[in-house]
This record gives sequence, C-alpha cells and structure tokens, in this order.
Amino acid sequence: MTGLRLDGVTKRYAGFELGPVDLAVADEVLAVLGPSGCGKTTLLSLVAGLARPDAGTVTLDGRALDGRPPEDRGVGLVFQDGALFPHLTARENVAYAATEDRVDDIAATLEIRDLLDRRPPALSGGERQRVALARTLAADPAALLLDEPLSSLDAPIRRRLRDELHDLFGALDVPVVYVTHDQRSATVLGDRVAVLRDGAVEQVGTPDAVLERPESEFVARFTGCENVFEATVVERGVRVDGVVLPVETTRPIGAGVTACVRPSRVRLDPAGADAGLVGTVRRRLNEGDDYRVVVDLGGPELVATVPLRTGRGLAPGDRVGASLDDVHLL
Amino acid sequence: MSTHSTWRRYARRPDWFTLALALGGLLLLYYVAPLASLFLSAPPGAVAASLGDATVVDAATTSILAATLSTLLGTAFGLPLAYWLARADTRWTDAVLAAVVLPLVLPPTVGGVVLLTVVGPNTLLGGAAATAGVPLTRSLAGVVLAQTFVASPFVVVTAKAAFEGVDRTLEHASRSLGKGRLTTARRVTLPLAGPGILAGVTLAFARAMGEFGATMMLAYYPRTMPVQIWVSFISLGLDAAYPVAIVLVVVSVLALLVLDTVASNPWR
Repeated sequence: MTGLRLDGVTKRYAGFELGPVDLAVADEVLAVLGPSGCGKTTLLSLVAGLARPDAGTVTLDGRALDGRPPEDRGVGLVFQDGALFPHLTARENVAYAATEDRVDDIAATLEIRDLLDRRPPALSGGERQRVALARTLAADPAALLLDEPLSSLDAPIRRRLRDELHDLFGALDVPVVYVTHDQRSATVLGDRVAVLRDGAVEQVGTPDAVLERPESEFVARFTGCENVFEATVVERGVRVDGVVLPVETTRPIGAGVTACVRPSRVRLDPAGADAGLVGTVRRRLNEGDDYRVVVDLGGPELVATVPLRTGRGLAPGDRVGASLDDVHLL
Repeated sequence: MSTHSTWRRYARRPDWFTLALALGGLLLLYYVAPLASLFLSAPPGAVAASLGDATVVDAATTSILAATLSTLLGTAFGLPLAYWLARADTRWTDAVLAAVVLPLVLPPTVGGVVLLTVVGPNTLLGGAAATAGVPLTRSLAGVVLAQTFVASPFVVVTAKAAFEGVDRTLEHASRSLGKGRLTTARRVTLPLAGPGILAGVTLAFARAMGEFGATMMLAYYPRTMPVQIWVSFISLGLDAAYPVAIVLVVVSVLALLVLDTVASNPWR
C-alpha cells in the first residue's frame, strides 16, 4: 500500500503525552491543525526519525520506518524558519542532496533562479522558505512534511506562498503532512484536516466536514466557530438563556446540547428588527474586508461577520434582526 | 535656599567612568610596560645572534615540534569529546566536563606529578614503554604527554561551546535530506563551528608552547623553550634568558592575532 501510515504512535515527555495517533495519508495533503504545544511538531519529528516513539509504528509505502535513522527514511522535512545552511549559497543549499540539473528544474518551478547566488542572511523570509522547500523537494522525498513553514511570514507574502503551495502540492504525488496552527492554511491546503488537541487527534475529515460539522466544542472553537452555547432542545429550536435559536433537530425535547454558529453564518438586518431574533449592537469592529459585530440577544451574545455595506449602517445601541443560516448541534 | 540648590545642580560631579579607566589603566600599564622593557633590555643584535645559538635552536625545535604534536593529539581526541559533550542528552555531561576542566585548574607541577604516577619509569605503563624503546619521560614523547594534559582542555572546552552554537535544526535538516551523521558533521557542523574550533586549537597551541611545570617533571630533556629560559636564567643570569623569552612573546602575539582574525576569540 502506498502512502504514510501511523499506527498507535505514542511519545511521552515529562508532563506531555502524544498519542496514540493513528493516521493514514495517501497521496494527498493532510493538514494537522492545532494550538501550540499540542504535539504537532513532535508528530513530525517521529515521522522524520528525529525522535523515537515510545510505541507504535510508522510505515511509508509499505515499509516500516521504525528504528531507521532520519537519513534512511526518504522523508523530507521543511522547517518553520527554513533551517537553511547559513554558510552555503541558496544554490549550494538546494544542491546539498541533489544533482545540478535537478537544482535548475526545481529553481524554475519555485521561481528562485534569481536568488541562487545569495546566502541565506541576504534572503527575505518568504525567499528563504522557497529555497528551503526547493532543497527538500530536490532530494526527491517519498513523503513531504512541513512544520508551520508560513507562520513567520508577513500576511501578504504568507497568502501568496500559501496559494502557490496549493498548486505545488496538487502536482506532487507523495503524501504531504502540513502542520499549522492557522485554520485558513489548514483548510486551503489540506485535502483532509486532522485537528490535534493535547497530543490526541480530535477529528479528521475534509475541510468542509471539519468546518461545518465539528465533533467537539474544541474543534468548533479552534476552526473559527465563535458562537458556542449550552442549550436545551425545545419545539422549533434550542433555547439559550431564554432565547430560542431556530434549528431543526431530531433530538428529544428537553435534551441538553451544545449549539455552534459560525460568525459568517449570522446575517444581520437593520430593517428586519421584527424577524425571529432581535438584539442590540454592542460593538462594531472594522476588520478590513468585513465588520465584526457583537449583538446582545437579551441573554446570549452573538458574534456576526457582516459585509461592509451592512456593517457601516450599524452603531452600538442599534436594534437589529438576526437570522442564523446554520446552527450545528453537538 | 534656592541659590544653594542651583549651585549644587551645576557643581561638577565626580566622573566615575573616567576614574574607572584611570584605575584600570594602572593595571594595563602593568601588563604592557614589562613587555616593552623586555624588548628594550635585549639589544636586537644580541637577540638575533643568540637565535643562531645551538641550544636556542634546539629548544625552539623541540617546543614547536612537541606543541604541534600535542595540539594535533588534543584536537584529534578533543573534537569528538567536545561534540559528544555538546550533543549528549545525559546528566553525565557535567561530570565529564568537570574532568576535562580539571587539568586547567590543577597546578601544572601537580599535573606533572599525577602523570608520573602513570607514565613514570617505574610504573607499569612507563616501564613497558621504556623497555619497548619509547621512554615516556626525558623524551619528546614526555614533552608531548605533559603538554597534551595541560593544553588539550582548551580545545575541548572552546570547541564544545562552538558546537553548541550550531543550531541542531541544521543538523536535523541535513539528516532528513539523506546525509548521515558523519557527512552532516563534515559539511554542516564543522564548517559552522570552524572559527570556534580554530580558537580552541590556537589556545591549546599557545598553552603548549608555554608549558613549563608539568614538562619539567616529565621531561627536563629535551629542553623546550620555557625550560631553556629557566636553565639559562639559573646558570647564566637574566640576560641569557631574554632571547628565548622574546621568541615566546612573539609566538603569543601571533596566537592573539589568529584569535582576532580567522578564529572567533572566545574572550571578545
């Protein structure tokens, strides 16, 4: 079988335990998403052979990697800040584990031909990551691991490189594991997303599944679902602090549930103050492409992301109608 | 009252920074003046003439040869130990480091005594070596052993710091690019630690050139330059000691030059 498999992989440090982790990555991109300290980097170290698991096996294309040193695994690893060799030029870095003609090919693909004669200190953060990626790909790995390669870049460069990575990964035919704490990078780049919490995989699924059908409050919150309420099932919806959020459910009336609503799924209507939910604007924050509006529903507070046009017409104290496009129940 | 406080505000405060320099300057003078005096005491002609003297040439040859050998020995065995100390993940490193530093704090004559209990002519090892025709005392081998004991810790301690200065992630990167430990050390770790290692090697060489105490105990013959200085001073007086002393001062200054240019001076 091709691809990367982790079976029952466990690693204990003082005060921290990773796993047991079971994951299978075919020729696809698995984005591992989690907060710092959740064990993402440790997971990559175990696959790359930079740390030994206490238990479990790692298999790549059918062969067990356990006990093999890092140089013997065919696993390429791109580090957070590139880890370029500072005493070598960009060209020498890329050629470190590759032939010269391959260097030129990959330099063309990653658009770094003009940078090849420079040394790492003379490269920008984004350029460094391009060269680091080129160096890893030039070694022709059988699996590619990336450890938050975009996290130290400025937003515009990060977005551009992220979009390019999306295309590049599509052209690769090896399993890719992309570790990040950024939900957007995970859902843009991952064919599937694994959410990691305190060393355990909390949920694995397509980006849509993880975003729209989170299986736990942690996954919901970490993937950007800010409105999470303890609620009780009533007729035609769930009740939160005396306010009924309309939702269809098969759960029995009176059952306790957790209701999740993404801010982008809340619509505010200044004119429709008589529709279902009504509230008072508490705060209006300009986030550039949209407004973030906090509405007090007379008990629960609701965070909404609304278009600029809607947001401009709102001010603290205004009465607004709110409708929820999607209420997800846990 | 207000006049008084205004007066105080504009009064000259004692300038402590200048005073610090003045005090330190006295110490500095104490370092530099004797060196200058040494060069003035020995007329250049006399020094040049005595440099051709057979005993001086022999002492210089012995010193340079022995110091080179002991530096090579110290580097060959010291670099692996330094690398291990820098990368090992055990609590034993502290104890090992203490053992490495011991020769640095031990009085050199005591070092000589300690060594004689192992390589002296009446010991198991020393006796066997002497029988085999390689006496470990009163020989070039003895000089090298004494110098290695006293000087090699400089290589270990300085190179350890240099290795620690190399980001482990770079070694991890090299390994995950398919290069083994040895290739990684050769192509990544050693070049990056190079200036620090060179500093350690330079310090060890300088220390070996100046080694006197332990060398005296192990090998009065063949005479190294420091031993020759002492012999000349005792038998012929101070004037006879000048030329070799000047040679050693020049070697020390050259070592400093290396530290301040190609190597990374650990004290800067």
